[in-house]
Amino acid sequence: MPIILTTQAYCKMLLHAAKYPHCAVNGLLVAEKTKDNKKDPSAPVLCVDCVPLFHGTLALAPMLEVALTLIDTWCKENRYFIAGYYQANERTKDFRPNQVAEKVAARIAENFGETAIVMVDSNRLTMSCFEPIVVIFDHHENKWKSRDVNQDCFEDWCEAQKITSSLLEGRSYEQLIDFDNHLDDLRNDWTNPVINKSVLDLC
Amino acid sequence: FNSISIFPFLSFTEMRDKLRKWREDNCRNSEQIVDVGEELISDHGSKLGDDVWIIYEQVMIAALDCSRDDLAMTCLQELRKQFPDSHRVKRLSGMRLEALERYDEATKYYEAILQDDPTNTAARKRKISILKAQGKPAEAIRELNEYLEQFVGDQEAWHELSELYINEHDYGKAAFCLEELMMTNPHNHLYCEQYAEVKYTQGGLDNLELSRKYFAQALRLNNRNMRALFGLYMSASHIAASPKVGAKVKKDNIKYAAWAANQINRAYKLAGRGTKENKCSVKAVEEMLESMQITMS
Repeated sequence: MPIILTTQAYCKMLLHAAKYPHCAVNGLLVAEKTKDNKKDPSAPVLCVDCVPLFHGTLALAPMLEVALTLIDTWCKENRYFIAGYYQANERTKDFRPNQVAEKVAARIAENFGETAIVMVDSNRLTMSCFEPIVVIFDHHENKWKSRDVNQDCFEDWCEAQKITSSLLEGRSYEQLIDFDNHLDDLRNDWTNPVINKSVLDLC
Repeated sequence: FNSISIFPFLSFTEMRDKLRKWREDNCRNSEQIVDVGEELISDHGSKLGDDVWIIYEQVMIAALDCSRDDLAMTCLQELRKQFPDSHRVKRLSGMRLEALERYDEATKYYEAILQDDPTNTAARKRKISILKAQGKPAEAIRELNEYLEQFVGDQEAWHELSELYINEHDYGKAAFCLEELMMTNPHNHLYCEQYAEVKYTQGGLDNLELSRKYFAQALRLNNRNMRALFGLYMSASHIAASPKVGAKVKKDNIKYAAWAANQINRAYKLAGRGTKENKCSVKAVEEMLESMQITMS
């Protein structure tokens, strides 16, 4: 049930936060549908990718609905499903999920009960990324409780650390596209093929 | 020791013009401003004439954003030398203290300015920004309301207040601020569209109908506003799907939604021409629109 992050998912989240350091940012985490119907309930869910959504004002509904529906359709085509939600707050000292985070997570949880909220702790965001800077919240007994984050929360922490650090130093976040950018200009591709390729090239 | 600059080969005039455009558009692309501005000042400072002071100010603020206190101090010191008693420069000193999170000292700076000049709007706004930074939204809102009672025409302040209210989920009051902005800026499609989004978020049939009207208005003002187009589609679809509406309202809204869906599809096809990556988006949009049609009927 606990989620695990791939390098691509982790570094795109951080690039999104780094691109808009003065704003709140949020996005969705997606996982692959398992091929066999017999899913081991205790097996961790691997979030293979993330879709950056918005920056700035997060608390408005219409574009969020559009994004959720569009991304849901995209997921179906790629045999993904939405497994989690990430957010970095405007104030760096604040990494608790707020009402927006809880509402979106509740919406995702309608389809996937084990939805997690991943909060990016921007206060600890550095170029070198020596330690994971996410705080993962799971829903237990009607409350969101934070879980200990260590290297086990990543598919390959060493790889994630190296690649994220490299992309931050190279200012790749300038090329990161979120859904807001897409709405500003439809040619901006929120699946981020350019960044995905950079990640792959560094692997 | 700088990170890779994405503007390696600009001429002096190009650099100066870029900085001017960013000033005029109030962009917060601080890393780029620091890259271009630092080089402009150090390599071409003498050619800038009187422009150099406003560039020092612009670069200083961008430097604070990038934690470049060294660069910020350089700019600040030049400004202090040139304008020793200026309130405008004192405000910059205050901003530097804010960047260093020395909020109490910064507040004292601004209060000193206000003692001297109670109408200094910049200092009042900085005090409100400090409240935001300290995580005191209720107080920031209160102070901003007081400010607006005095400076009722300050658009930037009305917009800031609308955002503060949205973040506190007080959509009714956010709508009020946007109404003020729409009244004084009837041709601004962004205010219309944001107002529509707030109404939509408030929910309920009446608000949905209002949101649809204002999304439509935003489109009339700018037919390329994709948020307005999507918003029109979503609001009309929800109204049509509502069990509370009569047959005529349902029929009208299905028409509006169908029109919007058509425009959305066209916009995506136009954007996707020539790029194979966007084929996925086009398809996703088509399917999304189809699936929503099903729930509507």
